[in-house]
Amino acid sequence: MSPYHSISSGLDQLCRGLAILGGGVLVAVMVIVVVSVSGRALIDLGLGPIPGDFELVEVGTAIAVFSFLPWCQLKRGHVSVDVLQTVIGRRGDAVLSVLYNLLMTGVAGLILWRLWAGMQDKITYSETTFILQFPVWWGYAACVPIAGVFVLVSAWTVVRSVVDCMSAGQKDAA
Amino acid sequence: MSDLEIALWSFPLLLVLIALRMPIGLTMLLLGLGGSVLVNGTWLPVLSQMKSLAYDTFSNYSLGIIPLFLLMGQFATHGGLSKALFDAAESWLGHRKGGVAMAAVGACGGFGAICGSSLATAATMAQVALPELRRFGYAGALSTGALAAGGTLGILIPPSVVLVIYAILTEQNIAKLFVAAIIPGILAAVGYMLAITIYVRIRPDSAGSRDPAPMSERFRALARIWPVLAVFCVVVGGIYAGIFTPTEGAAFGAAGTGLIALLNGGLTRSTLVDSLLQTASATAMIFFIVLGASVFNSFLAFAQLPQEAAGWVTDQNFTPYAVLISILVLYLMLGCFMDSLSMILLTVPIFFPVVTQLDFGMTPEAFGLWFGILVLIVVEVGLITPPVGMNLFVINSMARNVPMAQTYRGTVPFLLSDLIRVVVLTAFPVITLWAVGL
Repeated sequence: MSPYHSISSGLDQLCRGLAILGGGVLVAVMVIVVVSVSGRALIDLGLGPIPGDFELVEVGTAIAVFSFLPWCQLKRGHVSVDVLQTVIGRRGDAVLSVLYNLLMTGVAGLILWRLWAGMQDKITYSETTFILQFPVWWGYAACVPIAGVFVLVSAWTVVRSVVDCMSAGQKDAA
Repeated sequence: MSDLEIALWSFPLLLVLIALRMPIGLTMLLLGLGGSVLVNGTWLPVLSQMKSLAYDTFSNYSLGIIPLFLLMGQFATHGGLSKALFDAAESWLGHRKGGVAMAAVGACGGFGAICGSSLATAATMAQVALPELRRFGYAGALSTGALAAGGTLGILIPPSVVLVIYAILTEQNIAKLFVAAIIPGILAAVGYMLAITIYVRIRPDSAGSRDPAPMSERFRALARIWPVLAVFCVVVGGIYAGIFTPTEGAAFGAAGTGLIALLNGGLTRSTLVDSLLQTASATAMIFFIVLGASVFNSFLAFAQLPQEAAGWVTDQNFTPYAVLISILVLYLMLGCFMDSLSMILLTVPIFFPVVTQLDFGMTPEAFGLWFGILVLIVVEVGLITPPVGMNLFVINSMARNVPMAQTYRGTVPFLLSDLIRVVVLTAFPVITLWAVGL
């Protein structure tokens, strides 16, 4: 297998695994809510809600959404509009893809960089959540490596679109 | 250039970039960043805002409803409920002229009650209904048109992802919006069925016929859809009655449809993985647009555009209905090439302050609900308007034997039905507001 294909399938596995993991976190959030609300309803039987369920939902959703971003980028899942495709042509379209993936990589980098800075802030001010009193930066810390994967995958989509661009050029020439 | 001019010029630029296939979320995010830097004259406010914006948006408790609703829709897809709904609708309606197409619309409406997404509704019902429509000799244009239009019921009938976003943007009560959407949603389904009736009257060769099903079979088929009703009542009823928050309701809905799928044997290891991956892709897409829109909207706020626009409209002394109708028409036009969520996120923060200044002779709460339902309907029309209607693409990719041009033509009767409904609901707000007692 060429290096291109081994990187491609490796990243595919990584993003797929991460998205499934994020999905697992989402399912866990679902279970926490169902258990907590049921407990709240059965308070007369001595049961009760899970303390801080609200905060668990928030952290869980954040981790899940971050884990979904690389998969969406790799699978070209972002919404875009194809009205001018025939006017632009295959070659032009491929060039645009390179440009947009570059911009996406920039934005992913910005998100990672600012998330890191935001985490430093939360550590400095030792902010904690209201009920469970766990440090807010833990949530940030969980998301930082995932945001790193997002940057990596976005950068890979630039390479992928350059390769596509070259093959589109060859087909036009032939 | 003044700050306001920068903000105004950002719109044509946005549309050009979107037309050049730039992903919509990315476009809003980059223009928002650039615009804020121009307006503020420095990078610092944007950089400091970005420290928490991504995490805060992704961990927002109210937005947590979205991945849960998407997961619910995925489980519903694998739970065999789409087949049960279609069988029930077909046994009651199938023998009428155009009845199988009406059954597809009715089943879409039922599926919409447990699924908050139009694309998922269209794709799921197409899988079940297309082979049946073909078997009974329905023309390609009618089949694909009915399914694409029926798919929009996924969002028109609550729960609805688009309504959730509207509620969060305008600080409306999600539960009341859901209840207010029920009657307009049912009207939509009835309107589509009427459109089919008229269509087959004009072109009798476009629909085949079928023998009526015996009554015993009809009731047996109807009995099999009780899980759909149960989930809908628990989720929407529970939220409306204040038993749980909308996000909690969505968790119950996902758990409920997941359990049904598990019991029906529809949820195996591979369909579970598939459900999670589909949810992942759709969630990431939506949250990235939400993130982009919040960066873009904070730039517009820095430039004072929403206030200036509201002030300008008030100064012009337009009649309230002229403003409302212009906005609705603008949505219909934008809908030809933008998706519903992006339109809502992009325009509601500007339009809502403008329209709340106008006097429609109702309380702010009633107005907020009514306007939300009207906007919901006009942006949903965008899903079936050529050239860029997402539902048309979804159906087209599944009905390979029907050319896109035929599908375009097939949507015309349904578009007419949509337009009539928008006019009726605009003229008679009571239809929307009656259910919430306003």
